[in-house]
Amino acid sequence: MITDILRNFFGKKIAQDSDPELYEFRKTGLELKRNINSIFGRSIAIRELDSGSDNAAEIELNNLGTTYYDVERFGISFVASPRHADIIVITGAVTHNMALAVKKTFEAMPQPGFVIAVGDDACDGGIYKDSYAVLGGADKILPVDIKIPGNPPTPLEIMKGLLALMNAIKQQRH
Amino acid sequence: MNTLGIILKQTLEARNIKCLLRKKNASEDYVCIEMDSFGETVQLIKSQQLLRLIAMWAAEDFEYYSGFTLFYVFENYNIPELLALEVRLKDKCAPSIALDFPIACYFEREIKDGFGIEFEGAFDTRRLFLHEAYPDSFHPLLKSFKNQALDLNHDEPKGSEYIFKEVAGEGIYQIPVGPVHAGIIEPGHFRFGVMGETIFNLEIRHFYKHRGLEKLAEYKKPADCIAIAESISGDESAANAAAFAMSIEKINNCTVPERAWQLRTVMLEMERIYSHLGDMAGMQVDVAYPVGASLLLTLREEIMRYNALMSGSRFLKGIIKPGGLLHDIDTEKLLDFKKYLSAFKDRFEAALKTACNSSWVIDRFDTTGVVKKELVSPLNLSGPIARSSGAAIDTRRNHPYGIYDKVKLNLPSRNEGDVLARFMVKADEIENSVDIINHVIDNLREGPVLSECSNLDGYSLTAVEAPRGQNLHWVYVKNGVIDRYKVRTASFCNWWAIEHAVLGNIVPDFPVINKSMNLSYAGNDL
Repeated sequence: MITDILRNFFGKKIAQDSDPELYEFRKTGLELKRNINSIFGRSIAIRELDSGSDNAAEIELNNLGTTYYDVERFGISFVASPRHADIIVITGAVTHNMALAVKKTFEAMPQPGFVIAVGDDACDGGIYKDSYAVLGGADKILPVDIKIPGNPPTPLEIMKGLLALMNAIKQQRH
Repeated sequence: MNTLGIILKQTLEARNIKCLLRKKNASEDYVCIEMDSFGETVQLIKSQQLLRLIAMWAAEDFEYYSGFTLFYVFENYNIPELLALEVRLKDKCAPSIALDFPIACYFEREIKDGFGIEFEGAFDTRRLFLHEAYPDSFHPLLKSFKNQALDLNHDEPKGSEYIFKEVAGEGIYQIPVGPVHAGIIEPGHFRFGVMGETIFNLEIRHFYKHRGLEKLAEYKKPADCIAIAESISGDESAANAAAFAMSIEKINNCTVPERAWQLRTVMLEMERIYSHLGDMAGMQVDVAYPVGASLLLTLREEIMRYNALMSGSRFLKGIIKPGGLLHDIDTEKLLDFKKYLSAFKDRFEAALKTACNSSWVIDRFDTTGVVKKELVSPLNLSGPIARSSGAAIDTRRNHPYGIYDKVKLNLPSRNEGDVLARFMVKADEIENSVDIINHVIDNLREGPVLSECSNLDGYSLTAVEAPRGQNLHWVYVKNGVIDRYKVRTASFCNWWAIEHAVLGNIVPDFPVINKSMNLSYAGNDL
């Protein structure tokens, strides 16, 4: 412990190139934070809803909470119940087997609430478009406010999508 | 050494049972028998202790037979070739073999939904991937049904109600969970029968994510279906794309360049590393130890960035294709990755030590969620689950593909079958994958990464070892387009293990048991 502290003081310091992607992520996050402060009063609660994705989008959404990204510092938290949520993030084309559960989850979210479609399949059905087993994109069943395409979108793209939602809300108010 | 097909043919002929042996290519044998001798053949196979049923599917209009053909695939760990028993049905009816091979129950229900084929004597005839919204008479895999969007009423479903097993008794109550869960997780329904806090029974209902992938591939050109294979399960994209590509390559007698297979191997092992890192972190989160989890999640994020650097996708999508790879990966990038891996190894070992030195983590892992070894064969368990329960099996060793016969495979194996065993097996596998990648990069060949792959007709079965276990892909190409695409992922069978593993455990331990098995919902539901 003490050696660690001493090494920090007197040891050789290695400066690393700052990661341009993380820099961009932080910049987007801070801008998002400013918007969240003014529109939602400091924080937003997101409920993730999987309606038939291939799980890649969920993994990226989970990654938002890990050490590299840690979006809670920008006032974004993922919540366990739609009843606690401001926003539903829906991933995957809506399957017939999930349709009823999707509707019920949306109805459980207090209004005004927002819906974001994440991933190509949630945006318009993606490669599943012509399948008997899906209805199509999330907008076939829910009022989608913003679409974030990608297979799956990266953490940065998801953040930019959230920022776009903030801008859309601001415009609605004007 | 004789292949399974030759052994079965000799055994059948010794008993005057007519059969026809077709050797498709080096890795698979097809034995075609008459329906009349089916029962006797199944009993013969059952008496051969070392054969286990690993897949079952049906095809319509297969090879000029205008009816239904059933395929039963068997495996023996010591013989590289797989055996497919082929039976042509006279009508839409076949005897059930679920009493002899328990996992067949699941396959038979799947076939019944897809084609409407009835299995006589089946003990469970409930629908599987078609939920209430679909009418009872609907069978999507029939050739008479053209794939198209359906207009279904979800509020007043047409199909018959799904009946759960009844669990009753003094002090017993039920906890229904899902399909929508608390957290960023995929949907599925779990019904716990509970006595106090102890789980007395668990019944799982899945297929909420059924996207109709097998039908989606129908009448598409093989080259266009790689995206379908990649979307089976997002974190197994490379394994499924490689399996699909291998099937197409075998049909076309296409030899993949050495360098392409080396790069594929690097990516397949990277996929195993990042998938296992996620599991091991998740298991620690589920016993409330986020500090340990963060160390592993940081490493995982770094591997995913290398995924993107090499393939262009954080999930290794869009690079593997029939014939090799879409584009080469710079040797410089690979050498850079190798340098990273040496630091990775030290940090991973430190993170592992952090977890193993935390008594509260080990205390929750130890003796929790035991999968007994006796379940491995009847339920066709594979992957880390099987290897943690005393079965040292791995498709990479039992049925080598690509360059896996040339790399040193350290098969970790433990006998306890609990969460701790699965945690340690995954840790060992990560270290082995790092060694494999290092070995491959050291021996990297120069040359092209794509060879010409024509578009011939034919059919082929491929087995790969994905991070979760053995995945099977069977592709049948007719008139230049895919006529039938059958996928059986490891999760499809491994999901059964959890119904047994949770018994006698407490409900709060369910999440960590579930995470330790890392079962895929998307890969199961297709």
